[in-house]
Amino acid sequence: MAQGASLAAVVAVWAAVVNARLFPGDIVPSPAAVAGRIVGLALSADFYGHLRVTAAEIAGGLALAAVAGILLGVAIGARPLLRRAYEPWLHYLAPTPKIVFFPVMLMLFGVGAASKVSLATLGAFFPIVLGTISGVREMDPVLVQVGRGFALSPYRMLTMVYVPAIRAALVNAVRLGFGVAVVVVLLAETKLSSAGIGYLIIDAYRHFDMPLLAALVLVLFGLAILANAGLARLARHGAPAVSR
Amino acid sequence: MTSPEPSAPVPPLSGDTSAVVGWTAALRVMNVTKRFHTGREIVTAVDDVSFDVREGEFLSVIGPSGCGKSTLFKIIGGLLGGFSGEVRVGGRSIQGPHRDIGMVFQEESTFPWRSVLDNVAFPLEASGMGRAERLDRAAHFVSLVGLKGFERRFPSELSGGMRQRVAIARTLAFNPKILLMDEPFAALDEQTRYLLGDKVLQIQQATKQTTLLITHNIGEAVQLSDRVLVMTYRPGRIKAVVEVDLPRPRSDDVITSDAFARHVAGLWRNLKEEASRGLAESEALVSGGAG
Ligand SMILES: Nc1ncnc2c1ncn2[C@@H]1O[C@H](COP(=O)(O)OP(=O)(O)OP(=O)(O)O)[C@@H](O)[C@H]1O
Ligand SMILES: [Mg+2]
Repeated sequence: MAQGASLAAVVAVWAAVVNARLFPGDIVPSPAAVAGRIVGLALSADFYGHLRVTAAEIAGGLALAAVAGILLGVAIGARPLLRRAYEPWLHYLAPTPKIVFFPVMLMLFGVGAASKVSLATLGAFFPIVLGTISGVREMDPVLVQVGRGFALSPYRMLTMVYVPAIRAALVNAVRLGFGVAVVVVLLAETKLSSAGIGYLIIDAYRHFDMPLLAALVLVLFGLAILANAGLARLARHGAPAVSR
Repeated sequence: MTSPEPSAPVPPLSGDTSAVVGWTAALRVMNVTKRFHTGREIVTAVDDVSFDVREGEFLSVIGPSGCGKSTLFKIIGGLLGGFSGEVRVGGRSIQGPHRDIGMVFQEESTFPWRSVLDNVAFPLEASGMGRAERLDRAAHFVSLVGLKGFERRFPSELSGGMRQRVAIARTLAFNPKILLMDEPFAALDEQTRYLLGDKVLQIQQATKQTTLLITHNIGEAVQLSDRVLVMTYRPGRIKAVVEVDLPRPRSDDVITSDAFARHVAGLWRNLKEEASRGLAESEALVSGGAG
């Protein structure tokens, strides 16, 4: 309810600003014009093609980052010596903007999806590996000993002990990684690409199609909200109270 | 020395009856020594400990707090390296965790994200057993420890004693040749301790499960064991081996018998000196005497 009301208020202010002609009409389009373009997007097959490209780049990058981040995070987190050696470096590197590696990725992987996927992987890797390490550090060491005592293979140790034990930390880490992957992929698409939502946005800008630009940005907001809500749901699902 | 045998038997201990024929060693602990290097001092937690656990036997190791029992437990379970000496299972020297040994830990060790049934099925799942079969087997062990009806509960919904029963059932489901337990009842109240001890005793007597129990509780050691090894405090050595010749099968009224009281008194005489030494040392630490 409150969320719906706040949305309506924003649209009302927006319409008022346009009507008052505070900005030239072709820079700030009216809500009606933008709504028309959103409907247009929703009906065009072309848009879904670009959406699929962007979604696949984000998903691919996130999946690779999750695999690498969880494997390395458990390997490092479970060994105090490795943890002391690597954790500080990972912490220092985590906040640096990954987009600066885009030229490198372009040279390595070309202008297609691969350069975006690799950039997303790099970006999402840091929050996931750090979240995994801290999850493993906090976990009850006797659970690891139980697994080892039953002579579990390394693979089963990972899937049957570590991952379920640090599930809450992992879901949070993947959510953070998702946020980074979205930013990095869209940014890279606006810089150099021939497909994806970021490409559509920059293309609309080049043609000075402000209603389309606004429509794309709004659609993007909507999708990000949906994806985040989905991940939050994932976090709440599953095991009951873990506390004893 | 002069022995041509590379696998010469361990030197006999006081009270050791390994010369008597008629039993085989399921587990041999041979001259095991473990030192911990902490900051400025070296702690000898286990010092030249040797003993055998016979096939089908219930053996207890008793000693005061801090004497190296858990250290020995982890060495035998293959979880702790960097010791000298050897641990043999079925004649082979162990390197790391071993399928033939099933461990029950001193600490809370159930998996909080798994139901009782799934906890007990854990080792079966890990060994690749199919879902229907492992849940079936797990249900058997759940009812064996008296938790029938609690299969779907989670550890957070159980009492401490029930959780410990889950841990025991989980290790029994692993079907180890040797059951190795580190003070599994330590966190329980006296009544639960005796009842759960009796449960383990009944299971052990029915299955002839070779069992090595680590404990600091004299009554528990007498109630359950065929033999009790008494450990010294710092360094942890074996001081005595006491035979508990209470008749078998034993039931829970064994603890009210005169013979039980005599055994408890005998063990206490053996342990008293060690326990007082442990206490005096920790008191010295508290009063700042130690450097
Ligand atoms: N990882 C370690 N590093 C350094 N010292 C250790 C370590 N583990 C155990 N010790 C020391 O070794 C000694 C034996 O410890 P251990 O845990 O085996 O005792 P315990 O007999 O199991 O005691 P309790 O009955 O209280 O469980 C103690 O003095 C302890 O401080
Ligand atoms: Mg202990």
